[in-house]
Amino acid sequence: MIPVVAAVSALRPLLVKQAIDGDIAAGSALGLRFTAMLFLGAVMAEFFASAVQVYALQRVGYVTISDLRRAVFRHVLRLPARFYDKTPIGSLLARSTSDIEALSETLAFGVFTILTDVAVILSIVTAMFILDARLTLISLAVAPLLAVLVRFFSSRLRALQLEIRKAQSVQSGYLAEQLAGVTVAQLFGREQATGDEYERLGGRYLRATKTANWYDASLYSLMDGISALCVALLIYFAAPELFPATPAATGVTLGLLFAFIDYLQRVFVPIREFSAKLATIQRAVASLERIYSLLDEPAEPRSSPGAAEPLAGFTGGVTVENLRFRYRQGAPEVLRGISFTIAPGEIVAVVGRTGSGKTSLGRILTRTYDDYEGHVHLATTNGPLEVRDVVPDALRRHILMVQQDVFLFNDDVAQNVSLGEPGLANDPARIEAALRTVQAADFVAARGGLGFVVGERGRNLSVGETQLLAFARVAARSPTLLILDEATASVDSMTEHKVQAAIEELLRGRSVLVIAHRLSTVRRADKILVMQAGEVVEQGRHEDLLARGGVYAELYRMGFKEPEAKA
Amino acid sequence: MKLVLRFFKRYVRRNIPQYALGLAMLVATNYAVVRVPTLIGRALDALGPAGAGLAAGQSIALELMLWALAVVVVRTLSRVLFFNPGRDVEFRLGVDLFRHLLAMQRPFFLRRRIGELVSMATNDTMSVRLLVGFAGLQVFNVAVAIPMHLVQMWTTDRVLTLWSIVPIALGTAYTVHIVRSFYAMIRVSFEMLARLSDRVLESYAGIGTARAHAAEEALMRRFDERNQPYLDLQLRLSSQRAFAMPVLGLSGLVGTALVLWIGGDRVIAGDMQVGAIATFTTLLGSLVALLMALAWVLASISRGLIAISRIDEVIATPDDLPVPTASIALRQPPSLELRRLSFTYPGADTPALRDLDLSLRPGQTLGIFGRTGAGKSTLINLLARVYTPPPGTILVDGKDITTVPLAELRAGLAVVPQDPFLFSTTLRDNIRLQGERSGHVRGDDGEPAPRAGTSAARLQPDRPQAEADDPQLRAVLTAACLDDDLRALPEGLDTVVGERGVTLSGGQRQRTALARALYRKPALLLLDDILSAVDQGTEVKLVAAIRQLHDQPVVAGVAGVAHVPQDMSEAPAGLPPTTVIVSHRTSVLEHADEILVLADGRVLERGTHAELLALGGHYAETHHHQEAARA
Repeated sequence: MIPVVAAVSALRPLLVKQAIDGDIAAGSALGLRFTAMLFLGAVMAEFFASAVQVYALQRVGYVTISDLRRAVFRHVLRLPARFYDKTPIGSLLARSTSDIEALSETLAFGVFTILTDVAVILSIVTAMFILDARLTLISLAVAPLLAVLVRFFSSRLRALQLEIRKAQSVQSGYLAEQLAGVTVAQLFGREQATGDEYERLGGRYLRATKTANWYDASLYSLMDGISALCVALLIYFAAPELFPATPAATGVTLGLLFAFIDYLQRVFVPIREFSAKLATIQRAVASLERIYSLLDEPAEPRSSPGAAEPLAGFTGGVTVENLRFRYRQGAPEVLRGISFTIAPGEIVAVVGRTGSGKTSLGRILTRTYDDYEGHVHLATTNGPLEVRDVVPDALRRHILMVQQDVFLFNDDVAQNVSLGEPGLANDPARIEAALRTVQAADFVAARGGLGFVVGERGRNLSVGETQLLAFARVAARSPTLLILDEATASVDSMTEHKVQAAIEELLRGRSVLVIAHRLSTVRRADKILVMQAGEVVEQGRHEDLLARGGVYAELYRMGFKEPEAKA
Repeated sequence: MKLVLRFFKRYVRRNIPQYALGLAMLVATNYAVVRVPTLIGRALDALGPAGAGLAAGQSIALELMLWALAVVVVRTLSRVLFFNPGRDVEFRLGVDLFRHLLAMQRPFFLRRRIGELVSMATNDTMSVRLLVGFAGLQVFNVAVAIPMHLVQMWTTDRVLTLWSIVPIALGTAYTVHIVRSFYAMIRVSFEMLARLSDRVLESYAGIGTARAHAAEEALMRRFDERNQPYLDLQLRLSSQRAFAMPVLGLSGLVGTALVLWIGGDRVIAGDMQVGAIATFTTLLGSLVALLMALAWVLASISRGLIAISRIDEVIATPDDLPVPTASIALRQPPSLELRRLSFTYPGADTPALRDLDLSLRPGQTLGIFGRTGAGKSTLINLLARVYTPPPGTILVDGKDITTVPLAELRAGLAVVPQDPFLFSTTLRDNIRLQGERSGHVRGDDGEPAPRAGTSAARLQPDRPQAEADDPQLRAVLTAACLDDDLRALPEGLDTVVGERGVTLSGGQRQRTALARALYRKPALLLLDDILSAVDQGTEVKLVAAIRQLHDQPVVAGVAGVAHVPQDMSEAPAGLPPTTVIVSHRTSVLEHADEILVLADGRVLERGTHAELLALGGHYAETHHHQEAARA
C-alpha cells in the first residue's frame, strides 16, 4: 500500500497541472470535467489506500506488541529466584509495561509511517526531477540549510525530552510515595518541607518543558517559513523562464509552476515530522534492547507436556549429604557441609537463630536455588534422584514449601487456594475439603464463601486467616514432602488456636521439614536439627537434646522465636 | 461557570500580559499565513498570459520571502507565549493541590484512593494545561484564522467559496463527533493499561508463591484477562485512526476537486483569473488543518473543564480541623487525661471506644492491652489526632487537644505505628526525617540528575562530616536494637530502603520507626503494638531500652534539628517521656504504671500488672497462656 499511497499523492499535482495548462488553457470544459473526475478518483483512492495501510500496519503492530508483552511476562515468571534477588521488581515492571508501550507507540506510528514519509518524499522529488530538473534544484536549494536546522533542533529537543521524562518520573514517584506516607509527614510536622521539595521537583520539570517549548515552536515555525521561502525562491527564479527570449526554449509553464508549488508545500509536512519520529524510534530501540536483555536471561526449565513424572515414585524420604551453599560468588557460605536424612513420613524440625541457614535449606529442597555442592537425594521407588536433576515444576508438585510471608492475590478464595491448577479450580468440593482440613471453612463461609475476594495482598483478611489460606493450598495439593516455615508474626489467641490445630493437621501423614518456632511443633517432631552458622550442631529428640544442655537447651529457654523474617 | 471564573482569576490572571502579547503575535501570524497564498496567487497571475509581467511577478516573490521570514518569528512567539503560561498554571496548580493534600487528614484519605489522587495531580493538571495553553492558542487561532480564511476566499471568488465550503463543513461536523468518542476510548485505554500494570506488579510480587506452587499458568490466565481486552480496544482505536480521522482531510481534497471543476469553468468563461485556483487550493489546505485543530480543541476544552472541577472539588474540601483557641508547647513530659472518651468512626454503626477515663502523671507509662479490634489503635490515633477526638475528652497538660494547633501538639509527640511506613530513601534519612532531602525519591539512575546547573548543588547530599557521628542517631540506633541489622545491610545507614530499595523485614521496619520516634526526643511517646513482629529476645531488649529513656533521657545535642521548634535538649534529665504502649503481650506491659484491658471499646479490667494478675481475669489468663508457651 505504501507505494500506492506515495504514487497517488504524487499524481495529484500533475492533474492540477493538466487542468491549468491543458484544459483551462485550451478552454476545454469537457477535458476539465474529466480531469476533475480523475482528481476526485485519485483523492478517494489515496484515502482508502492510506486508511487500509494505516490500519493494517497498526493491527500488525498492536498484535505483535501484545504477544511480546505476553512473552515477556511469561518469561519473567519463569526466571529463577537468583534473578529476582538482584533485580528490583520496579524495573521488571518497567520492562513489561512502559518499555513495551514505548515500542508499541513506535511500531504503530513511527516505523511504518516513516517508510511512507520517505516514499512520499522520494516520489515527490522524483516527479519534480522528471518535470524539470533545473527548477527542482532551485526549489531544493535550501535543503542543506533545512537539514542542518532540523538536526540542531531535534538533537536539542531529544536531550530535553530525556530530562523532561526523568523529571516527570521523579516528581510523580515522589508524589505517590508522599501521599502513601502522608500520615508520617503530618505526625512529624513535615508538611512544609515536603511541599517545598515537591515544588522544587516540579520546578525542574517546569524549566525543562519551557525550554523545550522554545525549541519546539522555533522548529515548527522554521518549517513553515522555509516552505514559503522555497516557493518564493521558485517563483523568483522560474519567472524569467516564463518569458523566454526564444519561445519554446524552455518547458516552464504556468501549470508546471503550479505543480511545483503544490509539491513543495507537501514535501515539508513529512520532513517536519521526520525528526520527531526518528526520536521515537531511537527510544524504542533502547527499550527493545532492554527487553531483549531480559528475554536473554536463562529461565528455569519446565517439563515438556506429556513427559513422564520423574517423582511418581517419591516416598518422601530425603538424604542430604555434605550440603554446601552460598547465595553469591564470594559471599560467605550459609550452609557448610550439612548431612541429615528424612525418613518417609518423618517429621523433622529445624531450629536455630536467624542466619543459621534454616530457610536456605528449604529453598534448596524446592530447587529455588540449585547451585549447591554435595548431594540432596530424593528417595523414589526407582532409586535416588538428585534434586537439581528434577525439573522444578515436577519437583514442586511433590515438595511444597509454605513461607512465613504469605502472599495472596487480589482474587477470590477459590482462586487463591487452587492457584489456577485445573484439577482444583474446577473442583470446588476439593477446595472446600481443604479449607475444612485447616479449619478455614468457618471464616470463609462467614465472609460469603469461595467467591469472597481477599483484597490486595489479602487486605480483607486478618494475619491468622491469611495463614490458614496458605495452609489450605497445601492441604488441597497434599504434597509428599512439606517444608513449613512457621510464621513468627503473632495473631490473637483465637486464631492462634486454629493455626496450631491446622499445623497439626498438615503434619499428619507426610514427610515434613518444619522450620519451627512453636514449642508444640518441636515437641511433636521425630527428629530435631539444631542449626548454627550453617551447620547442624545437634540432632535428636526433644527430651534427649534438652537433657544434653547445649545449644538446643539455650534456644528452648529463649522460646524458639526467630528474630527476623529475612536477613 | 463560577468555578471556572474563580480558577481563571486565581491561576491565569497573572499571565494576562503574556497572553495579550501572544494574541497579538497570533493575529500577525494568521495575517502572514493568509498573506502567503494570496501573494502566490498574485505572483502567478502577474506571470500569466494577462499578467503585469516579469518584474511585477518577481517583486511579489521578494515580498513573499519577507513574509516567510516574518512567519518564523511571529509564529514562534505566539506558540511560546501561549504554551509557557500553560506550563506555569500546571505547575502552580499541581503544587497547590499537593500542599492541600498534605493538610488533609485521615478520613479524607480513606475516601480517596492514592492512585486516584496521583492521577489527578498528573493527568488532570495536564488537561488544565492543555486548556489554558494549547486550547487557548487554538481557540484564539481558530477564532482569528477561520474568519480571515473565509474573508480571503470570499473576496477571491464567491461562487467558488460556496461550492468548496460544503464538503468541508460536513467533514468538520463528522470529525468533531469522532474526536469526542476517540477521547473517551483513549481514556478507557489508559485505565485498562493501568489495570494491566497492577496485575503484572501483583504477579511479580507474588512470584515466590507462584513458583512454590508451580502456578505460572494461572498467572498467565490472569494476565490474559486484562491483556486481551486492552489489545481489542487498541485495535478499535486503530480503525478509528485509520478510517475516521482522515475524513476531514478528504473533504478538503474533495473541495479542491470542486475548485478545479467549477473554478476551471469560471476561468474558461472568463469570470475568474487562473491564480485564484492556486489561492483557493492553498487556503483550503490550511483551512482543513485549522478545522482539524478545532475538533481537538473542542474535546480538550471539555476535558479541561472537567479536570478543573475535579481538582477544585479536592482543593475546596476543608481539612475539618477545629480552629485552635489555645497554645501548647510540649517541652517536658506532659500529664495525660481522658474524660469519658467515646469515639465512633465516621460511617460506623458502633463506637470503637466507649467512656474511657484515665489520668496519667508526667513521665508515667500507660499500657493498653486487648484483642484485635478492641480499640487499641483507635486510642493511639485519637491521642495523635490522626482522627479528631470529641472536644474535651483528651487533655494533655490539662489542655483539650482539640483546642491547640495540630503542629504544636505533634511537635512534642512521636508515634510508632504497627505497620510503619518507610520512604524510598536512606535508612539515615528515614530515621532523621529532616532536611530538604528527607523522603526524597531518587531518580531512576540512582541519583538525581545534576543536569540543570542551578539545582545540582542543592541535589548533592550536603551532609556535614560530623553527622556520621551524630551521637543522637547512634544512641537511638542502639536503643532500637538496630546495630546488628545495620552491619548486615550493604551500605549501613546509607542503604536505600522502602519500595525502591532493600526490603526490610516487619521487625526491622518497626524498629526503624521506633528509632525515628526516639530521635525526635518526644515528650509524649505513643507505641502501637510495635513489638508484634519482633522475637522475644529482641522484645526484652527493646522494652528495656524504652524503659531506659525513663532513667536517662538522651541529652545529646540536637544539631540540625531545625524543624523542631523547641530545643528539647533542655528537657531536664530524669523525667522520661509520658508513654502509651499498646501490646497484646503481657511481658511488654509488666512495668506500666497503669494498664487498661480493652474489649469492644470498653475498659474490661484496669490496674498495674501485679493487680491485674491478682484479679485473675482476662489479662491474667492470657499472661499464663503466654508464659506457658514461652517456658
